[in-house]
Amino acid sequence: MDKRISLRIDKIVEETSSVKTFCFSSPIDALPGQFIMLSDLRTGEKPFSISSSDSNGFSVTVKALGPFSSGMFAFKTGDFLSIRGPFGKPFDLRKGSILIAGGGVGVPPLFFLARELKKAGTEVVFINGAKNSDELIFKDLINELGINQIIMTDDGSSGKKGNAAEGLLNTLNESDFDAVYVAGPEGMLKKIADIKTDTYMELLIERYMKCAVGICGQCAVDPSGIRVCVEGPVFNQNMIRKLTEFGVYKRDAAGRKKYFEKAFSK
Amino acid sequence: MFTLDSRLKTDFLGSVLKTPLLLPAGVMGISASSLLYAVQSGAGIVTTKSLTLQPRKGHDGPVISPVEGGFINAMGLCNPGIEFGIKEISEFKIKSFVPVIASVFATEPEGFVKLTEFINDSEADFIELNLSCPNVSAEYGVPLSSSPVIVEEVVRAVTDISKIPVIAKLSPNVPDIKLLALAAEKGGASALCLINTLGPGMEIDINIGRPVLKNIFGGMSGPCVKPIAVKLVYEASSVVKIPIIGLGGIMTGADAVEMLMAGASIIGIGTGIYYRGMDIYRKVNNELNEFLMKKDFKHIDEIKRINIDG
Repeated sequence: MDKRISLRIDKIVEETSSVKTFCFSSPIDALPGQFIMLSDLRTGEKPFSISSSDSNGFSVTVKALGPFSSGMFAFKTGDFLSIRGPFGKPFDLRKGSILIAGGGVGVPPLFFLARELKKAGTEVVFINGAKNSDELIFKDLINELGINQIIMTDDGSSGKKGNAAEGLLNTLNESDFDAVYVAGPEGMLKKIADIKTDTYMELLIERYMKCAVGICGQCAVDPSGIRVCVEGPVFNQNMIRKLTEFGVYKRDAAGRKKYFEKAFSK
Repeated sequence: MFTLDSRLKTDFLGSVLKTPLLLPAGVMGISASSLLYAVQSGAGIVTTKSLTLQPRKGHDGPVISPVEGGFINAMGLCNPGIEFGIKEISEFKIKSFVPVIASVFATEPEGFVKLTEFINDSEADFIELNLSCPNVSAEYGVPLSSSPVIVEEVVRAVTDISKIPVIAKLSPNVPDIKLLALAAEKGGASALCLINTLGPGMEIDINIGRPVLKNIFGGMSGPCVKPIAVKLVYEASSVVKIPIIGLGGIMTGADAVEMLMAGASIIGIGTGIYYRGMDIYRKVNNELNEFLMKKDFKHIDEIKRINIDG
């Protein structure tokens, strides 16, 4: 990133009542797993995974969670946003038979990944997990890729009942895969990272970020101090298992440890 | 035989540094592990983020923006607070022998004294007084290091009670750095650190019609500030006897040599991390060593303030 740019929002897609995709018609040189820092230059600035990118432009998919992402829902087509990036280490695209598992907001970056894998002619199974059928996203887009999609909802209102982690375990037990890619809430990721498997696995994780260029130390994780914005946000399973804070705590804006309310167990 | 170790190993206020490269305040430094990462990458001494009496979440984003030849940034002194901060120092000390500087920030002498009392009970090797943050003037007014009288007063108040050597971090944004350097030395500082970020500067997004940084203004860092840093280190070192930590735009071994020739004793690298990775410390160590070897110098001390005065 040597420049910051401001781009016009060219299209907004309402995915669910709390999830929107913002599309920009300028190409950005991004790979699956990378993120941008997005700001209205009023409310704040936050990192968002890229949910698609090609020569026509790119998009990010946003869930209304905090003040900034909720504020984004007021933006209209034609509004300009400030963009820095793309940043971070992307997924390492493997060949062969691929299993992807996403939960909630973890799904958009994995859709981008699935699309790139499919372009390369790779066989992909996509586990799409959500709380319920109302919160399920990208179902049609994934189907359009022509890949095997397994839908999981916590309440069974769509697809199979259960979460993405359970779906992944079952699928891994049934078939052999050359690589597994995962993104979603930390509780889900923790369960999956703890799975004993010989299959190559990469996970996309989240930490509070400020500079996104590896200088400020905000997203440095224990015990090694590696930076999620530069060495991540995609890590392989071995690296994740070495992160002593993963699934236990993360740091707030001041750098204090904030323990997860319920420690994630196996 | 003179190896990388023997050429670069240096004494800094009684501590032996394996290399003269320093992780400056504000860069990484928010946790023990982020300090350790700098050490693993070849830094010889590390500095915490500036600790304040209460935790601070810092400014909202954007806190940084790229400009030609560097960045403008206004992090806003985010830090976990002194109590949590000294725990991180202890944790660092369990895992490393590398000296650590505790940077502290307050707005008046009493605040610095209170912070020093905490540091006295910590495992920090040095205390650095951040008298020069350019990015909190909306809250606190102009930095303390704008005034020689205040600099001397704060430094004296801290040195009176500090159990460890005191470093004064000065602002480049002053008419005459020599007056500030002398004031810090007179107040009892054991070393100076300069420069803090320059300016501050400002950038406006013309499509949105808003300042890019949430704080509106942000200090400049990166290669674009190096000539100013070199000039100010040169000027300060011409009037004080205490050692100087020189930083501002250092990217390469050649830059480090330049800073040493200007009069610095050791060299900080911060923004360079963006351009050359955390590994920049190892790279600059090697480049610095190579320069010394080629020019037949046995130790970095031989190039400090070389051939400038006469």
